[in-house]
Amino acid sequence: MKKCKIGVYICSCGTNIAKMVDTEALREYISALPDVAMARTYKYMCSNPGQEIIVQDIKEHGLDRIVVAACSPRMHERTFRRALATAGLNPYLLEMANIREQCSWVHDDPVTATVKAKSLTRAAVNRVKYHEPLESMSVDMTASTLVIGGGIAGMTAALELADSGHYVYLVEKSDHLGGNLARVDLTAPYLDSARDLIVERITRIRTNKQIEVHLSSKVTEVKGYVGNFTAKIELVNKLDNILHYPDEVKIGSVVVCTGYKEFDASRITHYGYGKLPNVITSFEFEKMIQSGRVETKQGKTPKYVAIIHCVGSRSQEFHTYCSRVCCMTALKYAHEIKSANPECYVSDIYIDMHAFGKGHEDFYTRTSEVKTLFLMYEKNEKPVIRAAEPDDDCEMLIEVNERLSGEVIEIPADLVILMVGMEAREDATEVARLVNISTDKEGWFMESHPKLEPVATTTDGIYIAGTCVAPKDIPDTVAQARAAAARILGKISKGKIDVDAVYAEVDEELCAACRLCNTLCPYSAIEFIEEDGKGHSHVISALCKACGTCVSSCPSSAIKGRHFTDQQIFAEIEGMLA
Amino acid sequence: MPIRVNPRLIEELDFFGAEDVQYCYHCGDCSANCPHADEVFRFPRKWMRTLQMGLERKLETALEPWLCYYCGQCSEQCPREADPGETMMSLRRWLISRYDFTGIARLFYTSKASEILAIVITGLLTGIGFLWYGLHFGNIHIYDGPGAFLPSSFIHTFDLTLGSVLLVILLINAFRMWRLTLYNERSVPIPWWLYIKRIFLLPWHFFTQKRYAECESKRSTKIFMPWIIHLSLMLGYVIMLVLVMAFIEQLQLGPEIFWPVHVFGYAATIGLVIGTIYFIRSRVFKQNQVQYKKSHSTDWVFVVLLFIIVLTGILQHLFHRTGLLEVANIIYIVHLMAVVPWLLRMPFSKWAHLVYRPLAMYFASILRDAIKIQEKKESPVPSPALG
Repeated sequence: MKKCKIGVYICSCGTNIAKMVDTEALREYISALPDVAMARTYKYMCSNPGQEIIVQDIKEHGLDRIVVAACSPRMHERTFRRALATAGLNPYLLEMANIREQCSWVHDDPVTATVKAKSLTRAAVNRVKYHEPLESMSVDMTASTLVIGGGIAGMTAALELADSGHYVYLVEKSDHLGGNLARVDLTAPYLDSARDLIVERITRIRTNKQIEVHLSSKVTEVKGYVGNFTAKIELVNKLDNILHYPDEVKIGSVVVCTGYKEFDASRITHYGYGKLPNVITSFEFEKMIQSGRVETKQGKTPKYVAIIHCVGSRSQEFHTYCSRVCCMTALKYAHEIKSANPECYVSDIYIDMHAFGKGHEDFYTRTSEVKTLFLMYEKNEKPVIRAAEPDDDCEMLIEVNERLSGEVIEIPADLVILMVGMEAREDATEVARLVNISTDKEGWFMESHPKLEPVATTTDGIYIAGTCVAPKDIPDTVAQARAAAARILGKISKGKIDVDAVYAEVDEELCAACRLCNTLCPYSAIEFIEEDGKGHSHVISALCKACGTCVSSCPSSAIKGRHFTDQQIFAEIEGMLA
Repeated sequence: MPIRVNPRLIEELDFFGAEDVQYCYHCGDCSANCPHADEVFRFPRKWMRTLQMGLERKLETALEPWLCYYCGQCSEQCPREADPGETMMSLRRWLISRYDFTGIARLFYTSKASEILAIVITGLLTGIGFLWYGLHFGNIHIYDGPGAFLPSSFIHTFDLTLGSVLLVILLINAFRMWRLTLYNERSVPIPWWLYIKRIFLLPWHFFTQKRYAECESKRSTKIFMPWIIHLSLMLGYVIMLVLVMAFIEQLQLGPEIFWPVHVFGYAATIGLVIGTIYFIRSRVFKQNQVQYKKSHSTDWVFVVLLFIIVLTGILQHLFHRTGLLEVANIIYIVHLMAVVPWLLRMPFSKWAHLVYRPLAMYFASILRDAIKIQEKKESPVPSPALG
């Protein structure tokens, strides 16, 4: 192995490191190691003067490897890689030793902490000798996009992209656009018509030449990688459920907006849904309002209406999460019922009233002004509905252990509305498999980071938006749809997609074609190539996230992880143990 | 056994003045702030809730509204402006209508017109009756003594009859109050001797209204004015009532002043004048404390009638002394036209609290003792619902 000139830079991080690690002793120790040309300490290596020291040393002393003993590489690896690049050195010739999070912050004895810092830095010095210069690549970005789902999220994302001049394929399973929102009459809290929201969008989509709408269709296959996908769209014949006329399209990104389905209320037996004729779900009530007639099955105008919240939500037996929209929808019903018939009494039976959004608290106050009776029940003590006796002046009686008063009470009701929660669609796993993303235990699609990456997934180029991610209201859904569109537009405007230089590579000569890695890869980044009866696995570098699963599983040691070679790892271990 | 909700009750209580109770979201600030609420008697929040839910059967049994003197501290700091103080006031009005077996209280509270009509008719009948009596049997030129226009012995008999009618109605209603609050619906047994042990509380609370003053115990700048005024007004008309019922003959003597009786009459008049003016002023200008911000129509009927009574009483006395006996006699009839409906209305209006409030203090103390006895007897009993 050729001799190299390593520069080691030890950061004091103010006193974060220096108060526990004797940085001067560390510097002296490291300077004495073979191949170390120079070692320096500095108060803040990440600062501009700190980086400048590295740049100057590389230029003046011809250093060809750099080790920075400082914080976690998650914090500043990018910073120091940039410094190397500035000095004309390949950025992958850097190694960091984490002597802050894994050393000074977690120890209270300066002597042993310094010993540990020496080991960590020595390991980094040993490893960096085997680093190779790596080059990152870029792939082309196809500008057209596939949007799966024609609800408010899908329509919004499609319009956003098409209005920017890019082609969109909008695929909807049913025979019309609008999704679940089309089943709703008014929206809370401003009582705007849902119909108006949708119709405007549908008209714009229908007249937009950049959007190709596929109704009664399914996406049956998505292949390729970010910027370069191909998808098959097939028409579903409703009668025989057979797929016809596959249509293959080339796309750069996919937005999944498949929405939710409502909870099946008959699963909760003591609400009597399906048995008591006047117990209905919120969607059935929406239909009633749309038809303009709120009445019982017997055709009478109800004197008492009870609304029960959290049907299927926030319970141990069904779904533990909150469905987020039902509280406001319930208030909307109370409001609508009271305006249509001021003589009618509305009881609103909830676990907690979640009025968190803009205008929601005001809406709650307005609803309490019209004397809606708000009642609170214990999460695990659901109300029980039974038919009333003939001499009662109501159809049903609801028994509740009311929390705010501590009394067991009986509420008269002629009509009971069950606020059914949202749940993931039955075909969510199928869709997830199709586009290679993951679902959580409830069946919702997973974001790549719940806070910082709310619309991206672990598969590059696949975005999720709306209620297929988690229950949410219309403003949040629209915001996500637009966020996904913005992410895609950003990639399109750049034109190229950078692929990290760190990925796995298969040595075709050594590959035994066992295909073990093909199934293990969590990112479906490994394809199998067959030529002349002889086959071998191949890693699509654009899809590879360098997790190393295939590297460690290969029985023939045919797969090499770039920047994580066996040689580098062993050198690091030896350095640590020396 | 679950209690049936009556969603209509909250609408009904509108008539009694609880117009904002629906805003309450049960933070409990009012109960925390109330100087009188404690472990056993929790209010106002608990009763705001009971009212919102329309648990009539429970509300009927409540003593708590009577333990409140409406100092208004709860309403001052209510974050929802649900006005707990006014709600307790309205509950007292509602309870009066519940205790009242005649149904008149309910009618008066729910219909302003019927109350005013009843007062006008009673007033007119009284006026016509006394005028007829005076013109037939008396002499308009004589105010007192033999041959007087309205002889004091006749008035005395009339007063006693009126007083007995009032007493019977009040006793029956007080019995109904006892049955609702102590006899029914209470889980603890009440030993009979507690009724005797605590009887002293009746006159004590009646004459001192000590708890009204205690409302100020938590406030940094204490406001004792409403208590003092209320006390002097109450003592004023109680003294007047005693004078009229027992010493009417001496009271009506003149023109010389009969000090042993008249001194009480003057003292009572001062109390009544100050009280009436203070309350009218507060209600008109809605100043001072929060409790005068909202006035039920029945509040006005009371103060206006009282004002007429006090004014005609003073004028009568003055004209008697100055020798304008005909004018004094006519004013006497006007005085009676206000007095009779005012007194007859008493058991059916908020002013029945003269009886119910001391009774409630007495009952509450008995109940408190009974609960303590029960707790000692048994192992710890489950605590009542959250305040």
